[in-house]
Amino acid sequence: MNGEGEDASKVIHVKFLTKLDYPFKVPVTSVVIPSSVTRLGLSSIVNSLLTLEKPEPFDFLIDGELIRMSLEQFLNAKGISAERTLEIEYIRAVAPRKEEKPSLHDDWVSAVDGSSPRFVLTGCYDGLGRIWSSPGSCTHILEGHTGAISSIAFANSEGAEGVTVATASKDRTLRLFKVDPAESGDSTTRVGAYKILCGHKASVASVAAQKYGSKVCSGSWDCTINVWDTNESTSELSVPGKKRKGNNQAEEPQLEGEAETTLVGHTQCVSSVVWPEHDVIYSCSWDHSVRRWDVETGKDSLNLYSGKALNTVDVGGEGSALVAAGGSDPILRVWDPRKPGTSAPVFQFASHSSWISACKWHTSSWFHLLSASYDGKIMLWDLRTAWPLSIIETHKDKVLCADWWKGDSVVSGGADSNLRISSGISIS
Amino acid sequence: MTKKKSEAANEDQTRDTKKKSVSAVKSSQKEKPVLAKQVKSSKEEEDLLLDSATDSDYDGDSLSGSLNSDDFDSDVFDSEDDASQKETEGGDKDSSEDELELHGNEDSDDDDEGEQVDSENDEEDGSDEEREVAEESDSSEDEVAPRNTVGDVPLEWYKDEKHIGYDITGKKITKKEKQDKLDSFLANMDDSKNWRKIYDEYNDEEVELTKEESKLIRRMLKGEAPHADFDPYAPYVDWFKWDDAIHPLSSAPEPKRRFIPSKWEAKKVVKYVRAIRKGLIKFDKPEEEPNVYLLWGDDSASDQKSKHLTYIPPPKLKLPGHEESYNPSLEYIPTEEEKAAYELMYEEDRPKFIPKRFTSLRSIPAYENALKESFDRCLDLYLCPRVRKKRVGAHSIINIDPESLKPKLPSRKDLRPYPNSCYLEYKGHTGAVTSVSPDCSGQWIASGSADGSVRIWEVETGRCLKVWQFKEAVKCVAWNPLPDFPILAVAIGQDLVILNTELGTDEEQQKIEELLRLGTLPEQDEAVAAIVSWLPDETYGGIKIKHFKNISYVDWHPRGDYLSAVMSAGETRGVVIHQLSMHKTQRLPIKMRGLPVCTLFHPTHRGMFIIATKKNVRVFNLQKRELAIKKLETGLREISSMAIHPGGDNLIVGSKEGKMCWFDMDLSSKPYKTLKNHPKDITNVAFHRSYPLFASCSEDSTAYVFHGKVYSDLNENPLIVPLEILRGHSTSSNRGVLDCKFHPRQPWLFTAGADSVIKLYCH
Repeated sequence: MNGEGEDASKVIHVKFLTKLDYPFKVPVTSVVIPSSVTRLGLSSIVNSLLTLEKPEPFDFLIDGELIRMSLEQFLNAKGISAERTLEIEYIRAVAPRKEEKPSLHDDWVSAVDGSSPRFVLTGCYDGLGRIWSSPGSCTHILEGHTGAISSIAFANSEGAEGVTVATASKDRTLRLFKVDPAESGDSTTRVGAYKILCGHKASVASVAAQKYGSKVCSGSWDCTINVWDTNESTSELSVPGKKRKGNNQAEEPQLEGEAETTLVGHTQCVSSVVWPEHDVIYSCSWDHSVRRWDVETGKDSLNLYSGKALNTVDVGGEGSALVAAGGSDPILRVWDPRKPGTSAPVFQFASHSSWISACKWHTSSWFHLLSASYDGKIMLWDLRTAWPLSIIETHKDKVLCADWWKGDSVVSGGADSNLRISSGISIS
Repeated sequence: MTKKKSEAANEDQTRDTKKKSVSAVKSSQKEKPVLAKQVKSSKEEEDLLLDSATDSDYDGDSLSGSLNSDDFDSDVFDSEDDASQKETEGGDKDSSEDELELHGNEDSDDDDEGEQVDSENDEEDGSDEEREVAEESDSSEDEVAPRNTVGDVPLEWYKDEKHIGYDITGKKITKKEKQDKLDSFLANMDDSKNWRKIYDEYNDEEVELTKEESKLIRRMLKGEAPHADFDPYAPYVDWFKWDDAIHPLSSAPEPKRRFIPSKWEAKKVVKYVRAIRKGLIKFDKPEEEPNVYLLWGDDSASDQKSKHLTYIPPPKLKLPGHEESYNPSLEYIPTEEEKAAYELMYEEDRPKFIPKRFTSLRSIPAYENALKESFDRCLDLYLCPRVRKKRVGAHSIINIDPESLKPKLPSRKDLRPYPNSCYLEYKGHTGAVTSVSPDCSGQWIASGSADGSVRIWEVETGRCLKVWQFKEAVKCVAWNPLPDFPILAVAIGQDLVILNTELGTDEEQQKIEELLRLGTLPEQDEAVAAIVSWLPDETYGGIKIKHFKNISYVDWHPRGDYLSAVMSAGETRGVVIHQLSMHKTQRLPIKMRGLPVCTLFHPTHRGMFIIATKKNVRVFNLQKRELAIKKLETGLREISSMAIHPGGDNLIVGSKEGKMCWFDMDLSSKPYKTLKNHPKDITNVAFHRSYPLFASCSEDSTAYVFHGKVYSDLNENPLIVPLEILRGHSTSSNRGVLDCKFHPRQPWLFTAGADSVIKLYCH
C-alpha cells in the first residue's frame, strides 16, 4: 500500500459493505485509500481491517460490477465521481481453494454429473459408468455398454429405493441403471442395466433427465432427440439378451425401451440436451443452432443461431432463462431468449484458446458459470465481468466434461483419464 | 600597246590602293613624281615606285573616255569626301577588268588603239609627256607615232576614198593600190617571213611582227602573262618599313575635309533618320519561335494543336420505316383520339413524326418544318459541336485509375464461414499421414499413414477409435460414400483392402459382413484375371484385391458399389473398376493414353468417368464405351490431383508445379482460371460438398482455402476468391501437407501432414 498523503487528488473515500457474516464483516466506517489500488490492494486492506488469522481473498463490486482494474481506471471507465464516499461491496473471491486427489480411470473421462451432492457420476471411454461417493472412492461401476459412454445423468437421484442413472453411449443405446447407495461397501459393486433404450441410429451424444419426473431425453448423431420413459413397470416385453450376445452374462432380465417421442428438427448431430423444466428441453447441435422444444407438442419454440457448431448447452442464470452454449470455437456465448427481437448473444466470454467442451451454470448463483475447453482449462465466469474469475489448470490434456458439485466444487474429467475435483469455491 | 604593262598596271594599282588605305595617304597623279624623287635612295623602292608611276600612266592610256580619267577626277573630287574616292577606286577596278577583256578579244586593234589613246593622253597631260617618254624609252615601238591621224572612226567611211586618212602634217595618206591576189599570194608564199606580217588597215601598211612580239602573242594565246620574265607567283615582299615610320608618308598638310564634319555623312544620316521615322528600317528582328516540342507530351491535346479541322462523322440516323412512307398501311395512321392525345402532350413527349396518308406522291405538300429544322440544326451545331470521343486505348492507359482495373472481389468477411484456425489435432501416427477421408456423417475420419497403419478418429474429440496395422505404407484411404455402409477402401502396396469399420448398426453390420464374405468368385475375364485377383483378408476379415502393380489412388462411385483403383505404373492397364456387390473387376473399356494419376466418378452423371493422366484430363462415358467425350487441356507439366464440384460441371486440377486449374467443363476445354499460389507441388485439391469452398494443399506445408461459387445461372462465371492460407504443419523429410479433405457438413478442413499430424481447421 502506498502512503496516503502523497497526492490528495488521488485519494478516495470508500466504505466497505458486505453480506458476509461475522468473521468477514468489517466495521462500517469510511476509509481513505489511494485511487491506484487494484483488487489485490483492496483485498489486503480488507484483510488488514479484519485481522484474520489466514488471509482470505476477496472480490469487490461497485454498482454490481466486479473490479478488474485499478480503482481509478474503473471509476473513469464507468464515469463515477470520486468525490463522494464510494460504497464497495466485497464478496469472497470465487476460486478453488483446495484440489482433491485425482481419481484415475482406465480411459478418457467423457462425462461427469455432479447434480447429486452425494455422488459424482462419470462416464468413461471404456464403456463403463462409475459412481464416486468421494474423491478416489468408486462405489459402483455401471457396465454393459459396448461403446464409449458419451454422457451420464441422474434420472432420479432422490428415489426411495435408490438412484436411477441414465447413460448414453456411442454404441447407439442408452442404459438405465438402478443403484442402491446404501449397499455400497468398501469394494466397488458392478451394476448392470435394468433397461436398454434402443432406437437411435447413430451414436448417442447426450442424455438429460426430467427433474422430478420419470423421463429422460437424448440427443444423437442421427439428428434426433428421443424422449424415453425410465419406469420399470411398463408393458414392454422383457427381451433378455436376445440380440446382444455380449450381454448374456447379465443375470437380471433386461428391458428394452423404445422412444416415446422423437423430436426432429436438427439437421446435424444433436450434441447436447438439457431438461431444465418439466416439459421444456433445450438442445444444441452441430447445425449451429440452439433450440427449445416443447415435449408435449414436439415442436421447437425457439431457435437461436450461433454460426458455429455447438458442443454444449446449459440453461440457468437469472430466472433460469439464460442459455449458455459453447462449441467449435473458443467463445462461450450467453443468450437471453426473453429479449424480444434479437438473437445476438448478450455475453461472450473469449478467454479460451480451443473448442469448448462443457459449460454449466451454477445451480444457485445467477451469475456464475463454468466452461471447460480442449485447451485443458476450466474457467469460472461471473456475468458481471468479462474476465474469468479463476482458471483451473489441473488437467494435462483436453477437458471433456465438467460440472458443479455440492455448490462449491468443480468436478471435471478429461483426456488425461482423471476425474478432478476442485473444491472450496465460495459462491454466496 | 603591250598587255604586259597593263597587266602590271592593274596589279600595281591594287597594291597602290592598299598603300593608300594603310598609310592614309592620298595618292594623286601629281604627287607621284614627287614621291618617286623622294624615295629614290633605296634601289628596290625606286623600282617599285617607277613601276607604280608607269602603271598610273598606262592606267590612264589603257582606259578609254571618262573611265580613265580616274586620276584626273580624283583631283576634282578631292574637295569632296573619302567615300566618293572609294567609289571611284571601285570603278577603277572595274575599268581595268574591261581593259583585260579588251586585250583578250582583239589582237589586231591593239596597237592602233593604244597608240591612239596614247596620243590622247599626251594631249591631256602635256606636263607628264617628257618624263614618260624618257622613262619608257626601252620600248622602241612606242616611239613611232601613228601615221594616220583620222582617229577612231570606222574605216568604212574611207572605203570609197583614195586616201585612208591624214598624217600629222595634214596630208592625205593615200591607199596603196591593191595587189593582185595571185601575186600577193605568190609573194607571200615566197617570203618566209610572211606569217609574221600583219596588215594594218588603219595605216594601210603591213607590219612585220618581231620575234619577241610573236612570242608574246603566243603566250597570251596560252593564257600566260605576256612578259616572259614576269612571275605571277612571286612572293610578296612588303617593302615598306612600317616600324620606324613615325611621320606620315606624305608631308602634305592634312586636307580640310579631315577637320570638318562630312556633309555627305550628314546627308546620309538624315536619310537614315527619315527612313527610321517612317518605319522603313526596322532594327529588331522578329523573334523566331523555338523549333522544339515535347516529345513525350500528352498526345491527347494534339487534336487541339492541329490547325486543320478533323472530320468527325455525323451520328447515323435511323432508317425510315413503313410509317414514314407517303402512303403507309392503315395501322400506322393514328386515330383522331390519338392525335388529340398528342396535342395534349408536352412538346418533348409528343412523337416527332405523325404518319399521314396521301393518295399519290403528287399530292404531298412541301415539308412545313424544313426551314425551322435547318435553323434548329444550325443552332445545334453552334451550341453543341461534334466532339470526338476519346477512346480508352493503350496510349491513354496512364489516365486510368489502376484500382478500377482490379477485379471486384467480395470481402473475405462476407464469404464466411470458411476454415481459418486450427483447434484440433489428431496425433498418433508415427509416420507421414498420406491420406485422410471423413465419413459421410462427419463423425469419424479415417487416415492412412506411411507407418502402415490405418486409423479411425473421432472428429469431435480427436480420439483414435481404431487402428489397423499393415506391413506396407498406406497410400490411400477412402470411406464408402453411403451412410449405412461404413467400410473403408485402403490402398497398400499392390493390395486394395476393404475394411469393415464396425461402426454401423447391427443390421448394417450384417449386410457388410455378408458383402465382405467371398463365396464362389464369379468368372473373371482372362485379361482381368491376369492383373487382379480377389482374396479374403485373413488379418482383418475384409477383402483383399491384389493388383499387379502398386495402387496409387482409390475412388468410390457415389453409389458406393463401384470403386476405381489407379496403378500409375500400369500404363494402359492402369485403371480398373471393381464392383463390390458382384466381387468382380472390369478393365476400362476404353484405350487410354498416358500414365494415369487419378480418377473420379462423376457426382451426378452415372456413367461419367474422369481420368487424369500426367498431362491431360479426359472424360469418358463408361456406358457408351466411346472415346473420350471431352479432353481438357490443362497445360500443366504434371497433374497430381483433381476434384470435382458436387454440381458436376466444374473441376479443379492440381499440379506438381504448384498450379491449380479450374475448369468449367461446359465452358471450354481450357482452364477457366489458373491459380499459381504454391511454391511447391500441390499434393491434393478438394471441394466442399455443400459450402462454396475449395482447397489445395502442398508440399510447402500450407493449405489454401478458396471461395469457389458456382452459379446456377449458366451465363455467370464461377466466382473464385482466395480466402485463407492455413499454416501450422511442419515440413518433415522435405514433404509438407499430403492430403486435405473437407468435413462433409461443416466448413472445416482436415489436413494430413508429413509431420504425422492431422489437423482440423475450423471456421
